Amino acid sequence: MAMTTDSHPLPIEHNPLASMPHDTHGGISNPVLGMLLFITSEVMFFGGLFAAYFSIRANAAQWPPINTETGQPFQLAILPFVGPATILLILSSVTCQYAVWMIRANDRTRFLRAMSVTVVLGAIFLLFQGIDYTILGSEGLTLSSGTYGTTYYTLTGFHGAHVFGGVIMLSVVLYRGMAGQFSAKHYDAVEAASLYWHFVDVVWILLFSLLYLLPGKTPTT
Amino acid sequence: MATTTLTPTIPAYRTGLYAWLTTTDHKKIGIMYVINSFVFFFIGGLLALGVRSELAQPGLQYLTDLQYNEFFSMHATFMIFLFVIPMLAGFGNYIVPLQIGAPDMAFPRINALSLWMLPLAGILLLLGFVTGGTAAAGWTSYAPLSEDRPLAATGYGQDLWIVALVLIGTSSILGSINFLVTMFKMRAPGMTLFRMPIMVWTVLVTSVLVLMATPVITSALIMLFIDRNYGGSFFDPSRGGDAILYQNIFWFYSHPAVYVMILPAMGMVSEILPVFSRKPLFGYKAFIFATAAIGALGFSVWAHHMFTTGAVYLPFFSIMTFLIAVPTGVKMFNWVFTMWGGQLMLKTPLLFAIGFLTMFLIGGINGAFSASVPVDFALHDTYWVVAHLHYVLFGGSVFGVMAGFYYWFPKMTGKMMNETLGKAQFVVMFIGFNLTFFPMHELGLAGMPRRIADYSSTAGWNDLNLLATFGGFTIATSMVLFLWNVFVSLRSGEPAGEDPWEGNTLEWATTSPPPAYNFDHLPEIRSERPVFDARHGRTATH
Amino acid sequence: MHPLRHPRNAALVGIIFIVIAFVFWVVPTVAGLTEPYNLVAAGTTMLLFLGVAMAIMAYVLVAGSSDE
Repeated sequence: MAMTTDSHPLPIEHNPLASMPHDTHGGISNPVLGMLLFITSEVMFFGGLFAAYFSIRANAAQWPPINTETGQPFQLAILPFVGPATILLILSSVTCQYAVWMIRANDRTRFLRAMSVTVVLGAIFLLFQGIDYTILGSEGLTLSSGTYGTTYYTLTGFHGAHVFGGVIMLSVVLYRGMAGQFSAKHYDAVEAASLYWHFVDVVWILLFSLLYLLPGKTPTT
Repeated sequence: MATTTLTPTIPAYRTGLYAWLTTTDHKKIGIMYVINSFVFFFIGGLLALGVRSELAQPGLQYLTDLQYNEFFSMHATFMIFLFVIPMLAGFGNYIVPLQIGAPDMAFPRINALSLWMLPLAGILLLLGFVTGGTAAAGWTSYAPLSEDRPLAATGYGQDLWIVALVLIGTSSILGSINFLVTMFKMRAPGMTLFRMPIMVWTVLVTSVLVLMATPVITSALIMLFIDRNYGGSFFDPSRGGDAILYQNIFWFYSHPAVYVMILPAMGMVSEILPVFSRKPLFGYKAFIFATAAIGALGFSVWAHHMFTTGAVYLPFFSIMTFLIAVPTGVKMFNWVFTMWGGQLMLKTPLLFAIGFLTMFLIGGINGAFSASVPVDFALHDTYWVVAHLHYVLFGGSVFGVMAGFYYWFPKMTGKMMNETLGKAQFVVMFIGFNLTFFPMHELGLAGMPRRIADYSSTAGWNDLNLLATFGGFTIATSMVLFLWNVFVSLRSGEPAGEDPWEGNTLEWATTSPPPAYNFDHLPEIRSERPVFDARHGRTATH
Repeated sequence: MHPLRHPRNAALVGIIFIVIAFVFWVVPTVAGLTEPYNLVAAGTTMLLFLGVAMAIMAYVLVAGSSDE
């Protein structure tokens, strides 16, 4: 084995390959791959929550259960907040993807604009969800009002937490974008954040369909 | 085969304790994982000695019922979540980048984050002891017992436990992402997937299991937290919930978790046996496929922990459980045939590896008994299960960890460990381990339940319990020998050089310890044994 | 490209779990065991999500490192 006699001083913890933005192998860059794997773990997290939901629902003769305050089954209203919030969230995914396409094409102005719109739409989703929560609370649906409330607030609440995290992530991307840190050659963080945002959107579509659109069940006797 | 390393000038603030606390170097992080894990091994061990002291004789001598419950609950919690899983992650952290010829992990800062979450979680768990009581519903924390807020005087212990486990789970998940990206994207040129060392392969499959399964227990723990603190009713049957649902979701993670706890140890043994038998691993590809099969099958057996609830589709889980014995058996054959006809170097790493093989085999066999539903109906929640789990986790994982520690200590520190002390530790630990846990087979068959602080003096269990306690203190003695060996070796161990064992894999192609950037240059990689090939001037065979 | 290298084929590993989920759901239903139904619902859901997550993971790992 050859002996190295180079005495060029290296910083003590310089890891050239580990921090390379362009990868030694082709395909997906390290940060984006890492985000995709993280998303798969989040799929499993929601899987556990959904498993609980379906299990409790399967066990119940009446679903949604009867609201003791009104004597009627619990009802979730799509209007005026949740339906529009859903549309806005889907729209925000579109603007987010548009932002990615724009930075890929090195169009910083359109990238920043689209990303700002995405952040705002995400924030409005959270606002609408919050308002809807207060309305539902006043109707008697809370975390402690029984399994329907527990499962509803846990599922939508954790989704909302993920939206909140996503809004923060996108805001950081927006800030870095405004500081000029992204270009057609360097936009891994934009792509990673946008993948996370699409995931959050897909989870909401699933949640919305299951919680709001799936028909309930009544005892057959 | 001497190599010089680059010795850069180091600013003062980058030395000493500050350097260790702020490092993102996978080697330092790996070492700190190992140290952290041993600290919690000792804490968990002390709790075990507390359990065994109480059980040595019938009657409550030292602990109240509640304290006893806290002891065995925290013993298992520390051992599983803060010893075995992170210890194996720590070895993986140190070894995997070296074995694939990479300069570090893919995400060094996230690596550091994963590490530091662990002592924090450990402190949260320990806080239970001083805030009114720790968790006391077993490491499994089944509802409704774990939901019972005024459970005697447990205070916030159960909630601290939940938060600590969510932290540890997050640390694991981040680590698994780090490992997977590193293994798939940072291998040295020439190292195809099927030239990766078996250790790397087992860490790969383990990382998949961690990535997929851990979030599920996070969800179960969060639901438990909501039930306990926000009036939730997930697991409350009186309000439409289902207590067994908790077990169901819990075990969906906790069963794959046992493979997380054994596979890297199997990987370490698979590195040691070829080197110390002077023969390549028998059936490299078969081993990889067997590992993948165990990983996949491991996701479909979880309810075998719940056979007696009456809420499980028994045939499905029983059949799948028996099936797992097949790839595990394949691995046993691979290991035995690696040694067969080889030139055995009977040093401490090999002794612990052989200890692993024999003890894990026993654990696998007594597990196969439990896979049979009628047998399990009789043995569930008895000491038979305690025997099984300790034969696989201690006889398996701990012996594997010891083997790996003795094997890689020279690489990590540049010093050899004392062989005499090592052999002495092995003998004392092997004897102590079997004295502790073999009697538990009989105790389980005789009907002694687990998780009880006391037992009737006329049940006939007295002698075996006393024997098991004696065995427990023997294990403790072996650990004192171990600590003494580490201390002595760090102080005045023989210099190890680059490759003291004549190893096969890339970590032996650099200095001991390696420089910060790992390799000055790499040998040509044409097989899964590049250092062996370089030493013997072999050309590529595959 | 070797068929084992193609990301779409790697994603098939997820199919294994979706098949197991299906078997897990169908057999008790067909065998008339509706009592532990709640457990079947939870287990099927988790296995189904696992199949999806595994398929995504296998796809991105193979696609992400394709330039061997």
